[in-house]
Formats: sequence, structure tokens, C-alpha cells
Amino acid sequence: MNLTLRIWRQNGPTAQGRLVEYRVEDISPDISFLEMLDVLNENLAKKGEQSVAFDSDCREGICGMCSLVINGQAHGPERATATCQLHMRKFKDGDIITVEPFRAKAFPSVKDLVVDRSAFDRVLAAGGFISVNTGNAVDGNAVLISKDRAERAMDAAACIGCGACVAACPNASAMLFVSAKVSQYSLLPQGQPEREKRVLAMRKAMDAEGFGNCSNETECEAACPKEIKMSNIARLNREYLRATLLSE
Amino acid sequence: MKLDSKIPSGPVEKKWDKHRFDIKLVNPANKRKFEVLIVGTGLAGSSAAASLAELGYNVKVFCIQDSPRRAHSIAAQGGINAAKNYPNDGDSIWRLFYDTVKGGDFRSREANVYRLAQISNNIIDHCVALGVPFAREYGGTLANRSFGGAQVSRTFYARGQTGQQLLLGAYSALMRQVAAGQVKIFPRREMMDLILVDGAARGIICRNLVTGALESYCGDAVLLCTGGYGNVFYLSTNALASNVSATWRAHKKGALFANPCFTQIHPTCIPVSGGQQSKLTLMSESLRNDGRVWVPKKANDKRSPQAIPEAERDYYLERKYPNFGNLVPRDVASRNAKQVIDDGRGVGRTGLSVYLDFADAIKRMGLNVIREKYGNLFDMYRHITGEDPYQIPMRIYPAVHYAMGGLWVDYNLMTTITGLFCLGEANFSDHGANRLGASALMQGLADGYFIIPYTLGNYFAGSKLGKVETGHASFKEAEKAVSAGIQRLLAIKGKRTPADFHKELGALLWDKCGMSRNDKGLKELLAQIPQLREEFWKNVNVTGSGAEFNMTLERAGRVADYLEFAQLLAKDARERRESCGGHFREEYQTEDGEAKRDDNNFSHVAAWEFTGTEGEPILHKEPLEFENVHVAQRSYA
Amino acid sequence: MRCLGDFFSSSIGRKISVAAAGLLLCCFLITHLAGNLLLLAGEGTFNHYAEVLEANPLLPAAEIGLALIFLLHIMVSLKLKYENRRARPVPYVVQKGKGGRSWGSRAMLVSGLLLLAFLVIHVKTFRFTEHRESLYRHVFDAFQNKVYTLFYVAAMIGLGLHLSHGFQSALRTFGVGHSRAMSAIKRTGLILSAAIAAGFALLPLWFGFMAGGAR
Repeated sequence: MNLTLRIWRQNGPTAQGRLVEYRVEDISPDISFLEMLDVLNENLAKKGEQSVAFDSDCREGICGMCSLVINGQAHGPERATATCQLHMRKFKDGDIITVEPFRAKAFPSVKDLVVDRSAFDRVLAAGGFISVNTGNAVDGNAVLISKDRAERAMDAAACIGCGACVAACPNASAMLFVSAKVSQYSLLPQGQPEREKRVLAMRKAMDAEGFGNCSNETECEAACPKEIKMSNIARLNREYLRATLLSE
Repeated sequence: MKLDSKIPSGPVEKKWDKHRFDIKLVNPANKRKFEVLIVGTGLAGSSAAASLAELGYNVKVFCIQDSPRRAHSIAAQGGINAAKNYPNDGDSIWRLFYDTVKGGDFRSREANVYRLAQISNNIIDHCVALGVPFAREYGGTLANRSFGGAQVSRTFYARGQTGQQLLLGAYSALMRQVAAGQVKIFPRREMMDLILVDGAARGIICRNLVTGALESYCGDAVLLCTGGYGNVFYLSTNALASNVSATWRAHKKGALFANPCFTQIHPTCIPVSGGQQSKLTLMSESLRNDGRVWVPKKANDKRSPQAIPEAERDYYLERKYPNFGNLVPRDVASRNAKQVIDDGRGVGRTGLSVYLDFADAIKRMGLNVIREKYGNLFDMYRHITGEDPYQIPMRIYPAVHYAMGGLWVDYNLMTTITGLFCLGEANFSDHGANRLGASALMQGLADGYFIIPYTLGNYFAGSKLGKVETGHASFKEAEKAVSAGIQRLLAIKGKRTPADFHKELGALLWDKCGMSRNDKGLKELLAQIPQLREEFWKNVNVTGSGAEFNMTLERAGRVADYLEFAQLLAKDARERRESCGGHFREEYQTEDGEAKRDDNNFSHVAAWEFTGTEGEPILHKEPLEFENVHVAQRSYA
Repeated sequence: MRCLGDFFSSSIGRKISVAAAGLLLCCFLITHLAGNLLLLAGEGTFNHYAEVLEANPLLPAAEIGLALIFLLHIMVSLKLKYENRRARPVPYVVQKGKGGRSWGSRAMLVSGLLLLAFLVIHVKTFRFTEHRESLYRHVFDAFQNKVYTLFYVAAMIGLGLHLSHGFQSALRTFGVGHSRAMSAIKRTGLILSAAIAAGFALLPLWFGFMAGGAR
């Protein structure tokens, strides 16, 4: 198939960006969207032009490194799918496809389609952990956790930290990301000793990064490649309210 | 050079305890005076960084991705082994040890493997404490499953995302230390060179992948936790950024490279669809528990699978291995797939796949049971191929998956360079010639959480390390050399892209040094690689400059290293004139086509010393002795 | 105390304030609607209700409280909205989304501003005004102005939209989010917002168009 691409090119964080049009031809419908960009980059390299910078690593939908807003949709048109697992058979011959980076103040541009998502790392450093040193652990079966609870914690823990929730949110809010981590630990007994401290600290770090405020638009849930649920956001609100009331 | 594995004396089950008592300790107040550089943030790197920081060492970690959480350990699906014996089915540390040595086809060190089996239980406990949401039974206890043909259920798992959950656990411990100020993270950095001062590893040169600047970092020890080299084959299940460069450059500085020919091929991957594909996706081999592997009996049979009657199908694994059937080990399953495809009986548009059929399982257990067991894998398959495996059989093909070989390390995980340690898949230590399923995660975390915190302290306590700063002449010289290397790549301005060379190298290796190897092919390969390397240095085209974010340049540097490393891989494969584990030499097989080891001549670790890009590497042998495990020929017939 | 300060400067805390104010305003709307519907019961009944209400000594305090709730709801919402705009300085060239947003959520700002404009006019028309005869008459006369009547109805459609997102969003912000509870809440929210909007819009339509010559 032959396609017209309109790709956001930007030469660094402060440079002015713009959409540049490219043509790609003979694209196999069986390859992924990122492999289609690989083909474009090979063509550009052969012409001596600079390749389009974009992030990717595992290319099997688990590392969370790939991003892209494709035709206005974070990770493209398919639900529950990261860009690296979006296949070209979802597009038609002759399509015009606009590709933009994830846009948010908290995700400053690096180059072209690459953005800096280290804000997520800083939010997790604020409290996204259980304080236990290596060597301290009791037997894995010493604390029983019901199957249902473990499954719900796993649902939340499945987050890959790609940032699509922020990219898709009309307010660029990071609530779905933060709530997934808060939920995982608040559901598990291991997370209880730091339950209040964690949510207060992570909220603070989240706000300091310049993310927007959640207005329950549910665009995050619709864009999430791992189908993290909005109910986590409700739980974060609850946990935060609870922590505020309980802490001194 | 004399290889000293530093294996403690005494019976195998006492060695680690004895060693832990014998090693020297660093005074708690002195720990903060030591600086540790850790390259790579997968399971080994993240867990090492967290544990060392908890002890009070100052740690700097470097990762190639934008965040430590993205390292490729995240993609491991199946699970992690431990000898807990929770299911009461006869497992023990001894059995896990025995199975791992046997699974590795008797090419690993007993002492290392025993320690791994001992530590396996601590890993599970620690990961639970870190909040890893392992699967549970209704009663609230940890769930186990049997994996990769093991006869006991010793695999712990978190859905099909065990690697992700374990890595995120280690990452959370790491981030806690970042917040505490004990660890500093340097993301989007690629290690370009290792710095030795007075013969000891004292620093690294990195390229900042965003700005292109070369940066020097110094420390008292360097830990390479940079994963495997599977991407030398171009198509593998590894992530795009996984590469051999860090270990290769350490090798060029004096670290011996052990058993590079031991590469593992995983039998159940989604087949290659065409030339534009960049990577292969693995599906958990649990699929082989219920799926039946077959191809048409006739060559070049282009009928659709449903149109081929039962009598004209060849369920070749069930036919050849009636006892194990579709559950034969990874290498056996892979090799047999290659064989039927070489016979022209491959299926699919490209003819490069075999069927994995669930029709009988669906008939026997019902659609719902199959959906419950494999739903997410079936969905993934449908997603990638556009075909519905509930209706038509899956197509699978083997793909390069894991590297058992790696930098040679002693019992303390130290390479032949003083102060340079190597952890996880990047080292050669525990899996011999073949890795068992669910053992990679175990090894990465054992090295990082529970071994290096002891052995690194022993190194510090026993060494007199002078003060080194990045202003030291060796840093300046190395920076200059790295910079010259980059300029050299940029100046060629040839006609072919780095990816193009990578593809060609991968095809050569896959063809002649993939699932099965022979002397003739390896000899040809050893002549072809230098030619390709020569062409690369004359005809590669790297666009852009060195002083910016430049993906083409990054790729070029890695391909340049692959072109050197591939030579060593082929050389090692040619030199090892036996078949064992993932290394199958066609000349050395039993009458029924099974791998035939030569324990008299090859029961050793082949550790190679670098003597220059065009020079012949020198082979050092570390003999392997088996005092506890009965050495036997593997047989699955 | 420090914690409370944190709460009211945090994104979640301020969202909870907006939600709390919004839910209180919902309660107010329901009582207001009940009072309004007495207009349908005839002049006498309605005027009697108005007199009793006005005679209540607590009325001024309640009015001030209500005004403060309005003010809180509006000011904090606008501040949050302003921050949300700033959280994405470069907008997308193509905006499509994946179908998470409802019409109600898209229209929050517009419907909110429409309601604010309506509120100003509404209070001026019915609260801060000298009515010659009874309140009932005053209402009747006001709705003879067709432009005003249509504006009133338009504002009530805006109110319906505003509530359709606002009600369920407020409950989520309070931490109600279990998936089964949520679908019930969404349904209740939709029925409630439709009922409130229709109830309020009924009166101008009745007086303006149906009961035109009934005097």
C-alpha cells in the first residue's frame, strides 16, 4: 500500500515544530506502524536526509517506550493497543496519516516525535514503592492475599507507563498513571504501612510536574493500551481524601 | 592467562554459606566512600543498584532507554522458578539445581547453579515484599505452574507479564533509592568504552543520546548488566536497543568472552511476515501443552490447513518423540521445525512456519477452557497476524531468544578485568548450553539482589583503590578515541544504511550459525563476515551529525560491533566440535538425529581473549567438573 | 492543618471542592424546581409559597450561603480550567480522541459560562426586582418576552448537559467508582439531569406559549 504521512518534525525542545509531508510506497499490510516508519527512515537515509526520531524498544507492547498520536488518537485508532502493535492492515491504501508526538507541558519535546517522560519517574520516586530492603522479607506465603485482591492489584499493576493517558487527556492529566500505582499498593497488604504517606507524596509530585487536573473525561481509559480502568482514579481520589482526613 | 573461577572449597551445598562467611566486609561507615557504576537497568541492573544503595554505596546507573523501567526484562512472559516446593510435588533446591545443570546439557558450573537454586526462594519472598502481584490461589497462597516441560510446578507468575512485574518491583526499589539520594540515574546514555586505571575498571565513557555529547564517569567498580546479544541475528525476540556493544567493548579491553556460540532459539514465535519486519514476537511455550505441531506430509502442499485430511498430516514431534510429544525441549522442537521446513513442508505464504493446532484441544476441553487458558496469547496472535487461531491453526517458527554465552565471570561475578563485574544475561554463568524456561528472571535477580551485594563488598574490602577522577589521562584518551570512531563512521558517506548491513549479517548468521551448524558453513561464514565488515567500513552511510539525537548513528555503532562479535560467535561454534544444548553441529548427532556431546574433549567453558579486530582470538578453557550431577546423554525419545 | 492547606491547593482537593459545591447546587436546583412547579398549581398556591419563603428569617443567610457556593464552584472551576489549558501549551493539529468523552463533558466550559450568564440575568429578573403585583404575575409577564423565554430554555438545555457530566464526575471525584456502581450512577445522572432541565424548561414554555391568553 502507498501512504501519505504528515509527520511532526521539531529540532529540539525550544525549536519551532511543523508538519512535513512524506510518501511511503509498497508498505506491507502485515508490518507494524513503527516498522512503516522504519521504512520511511531507510528511504530518508538513502537520500541523505535525517531520519525521523521516534521512541520504541520492545515492539511487543510491554515496555511502554513507543508513543505517537496518530490522526489525533494516542497510539492510533485501535483500542487496547500500543503503537508498536498497531498493524498497517488497519489503514487503507492512499490514506493520509498525521503523526504527532505526545503533547503535554510535563512531557517536553526532545526531537521530532520523541518527548521526555521522566516526569513519570519522578512521581514514582516520590512514593511508588514499598520500603523494604533486600534481605528483610518473610516467607512469600506468610501473608495471604485473596485471589480476587491479587487479580485487582495486577489489573492496576499492568500499567506500562507509556503516557498515553496524559497524551489523550484533554487536560493532560496524569491521574490514570498515578492512580494505577496507588491502587496496586493500596490493594495489597504489603502496601498498607505507607498507604497514606504514599498517596500524599505522589499527589504532590504529580502536581509539581505541571500535569493538568482530572475532569473524568475517560479519554485516558479509552487510549490506554493496557485498559487500565477509570475506577482507579476514583480510588486515588478516595485514598487521597482518606489520607488527608487520617494524617495529622 | 590462568582462569581462576574462585569456586569455594567444600561440598556444593555449603559453598555459598562458607563463602559468605569467608568474604571480607566493608565497614558500614566506609560504604558511602565507594562509587559504583551500573550499566543497564534490567532485572540484574535495577536489583543490584537498589540493593547496593540500600547498603550505603553511592550508585550511578545508566540506561539506554528513557527510563530504567523499559529494559527488556520487561518482556519476559512465563514466570520465575523457585524451589519452594509449595505444591508438595517433590521439588527441592537439589532438584532445581539438578534440573538446571541437566537442562544446560552439562556445560555450566555446578557451584554457580547450586547457589542459584538456593537463592531462588529468597527472590520470591523479596519480590512479594516489594508488592509484586504474583498469581494466588483462592486460599490466598502463591500459585505455581509447571513450565517448559518441568516435572514439578515450581514456576511463580503474574499473568503473562511476570518479567514486567518483577522489573517494576526492582525499579520501584531503585526509585526509592533515587529519592533517598543514594542512586543517580542517567537515562538515554549508551556506554561507549570502559576505562581501566592501573589494570582495574574505574570508569566508563557514555554518549548522551539526546545531545550527542561524550560523558566520562568514574567509580570504584563497574557492573555490566547489559543483557544478551541475540540481536546480532537481526531478527530476534529482543528489543531494538538490546545490543552487544557494552560487553564487546569490555571484551576489547581485556574481559574474556565465554561460549558465544550458545544461543537459544525459542520454538513458538510468530513467523516472519516479510522483509520490512524489525523483530519477532514470542508466544509463551505453554501453548505447546495443548497445541499439536504438524505440517503436511507432502512437500509444497499449498492447500489450506482445513483441507488437509488427517491422514495427510505429519505430527512430527509426536511421531518422533512418543514420550514427550509436543513438549520436547526448546532446542529439539526448534530443530525439528527447521528440518521439516528444509524438506519443503513449511506452511504459510512464506513457507517458513509450521502449524500449532488447537482443534483437538478445543474439541476435548471446549472453547471456553481454551479461551481461559490461552485467551491473551490467542488475542496477541490475531492482533499481529490478522488470523483467528480459534478457527485456523496458528503458525509458528523458531526465533533467537536468549544468549547463554556472555562475559566470563568467576564465582564472584567478576570478569577477567579487576573491578569489572557482569550480571544477568550478559554473563555466561548459570545456564550452560541451554537455558530452562523461567530461569532467566531467577538468574538476573539472584545476581543483583543476593550475590553482588556480598561479592562487591569483598572486592572493595580486599583492594586498595586509589582516587581517580575523570580528568585522568585514560579518560581523555578514551574520549578522543570514541570521538574519532564516531567521526570515522560519519565520514564514510557510502551507499548502504547501517540497518541494511545488519540485515545481511543477520541472514548470514541465521543461515549458517542458527539452529544447526556445520563445519563447511561455519568456514564459509568466517570468510564472509570479514568481507561484510570491510564493506561496512567503506560503504556505510550515516546521516546527520554526532552532536545530536541521531538514531542512524546509534545503529551504526552497534552494527559495527556486531560485525566483529559475529566473527567470534562463528569461531566458537566452529571450534566446539560437539552438539550440546542450543549448539547443534550436524556432524555430531546420534543415529536418531539427537545432539551428541563430547564430554572427553569439550566439557569446558570456552573463554576467548581479544587480540585485535583482525587478529585471531586466543582460546582459554575452564574445565567443568561434575561431582554431584550424574553426567548423561540427554534423551527425549 | 498543613495537610488541609495541601488539600485545598492540590488538584484532587480542589476537584473535590468543585464537586462538593456542584452536588450542593444540585440539591438547591431540586428544591428550586419543586418551588417553581407550584406555579402550575395556580396563582394562589404559588404566591402563598413565595410569601412564606420570604418571611423566613433564615432566608438572607441561606441566600448568602448559596451565593458563596456558586462563587466557589465557578471560581475554582475556572482556575482548574485555566491550569488545564496551560498543561498542554502546544495543541494537537488533529484532535480526535478515542471516544471516551461525552457531549456533556466536551461542553462543560461553554455550558458553564452560559449558565453563569443566565444566572446573572435570572437573579436580576426575579430576585433583585420590584414586582408590581404578585410574584406569579411577574413570572407570567417575564415569559411573554419570547426572546427571554427562548434564552431561558436554551440555558436549561445547557444545564442538562452540564449536569449530565457534572453529576457522575462529582461522584467519581468523591471516590465512587466501582464499575457496577458507576453504570447505575451514570444512568441516574442522565435521568436526573434530563428531569431537572425539562422541569425548569417546562415553565417558560407553558407561560410563554401555551398559557398565553389565559389571563
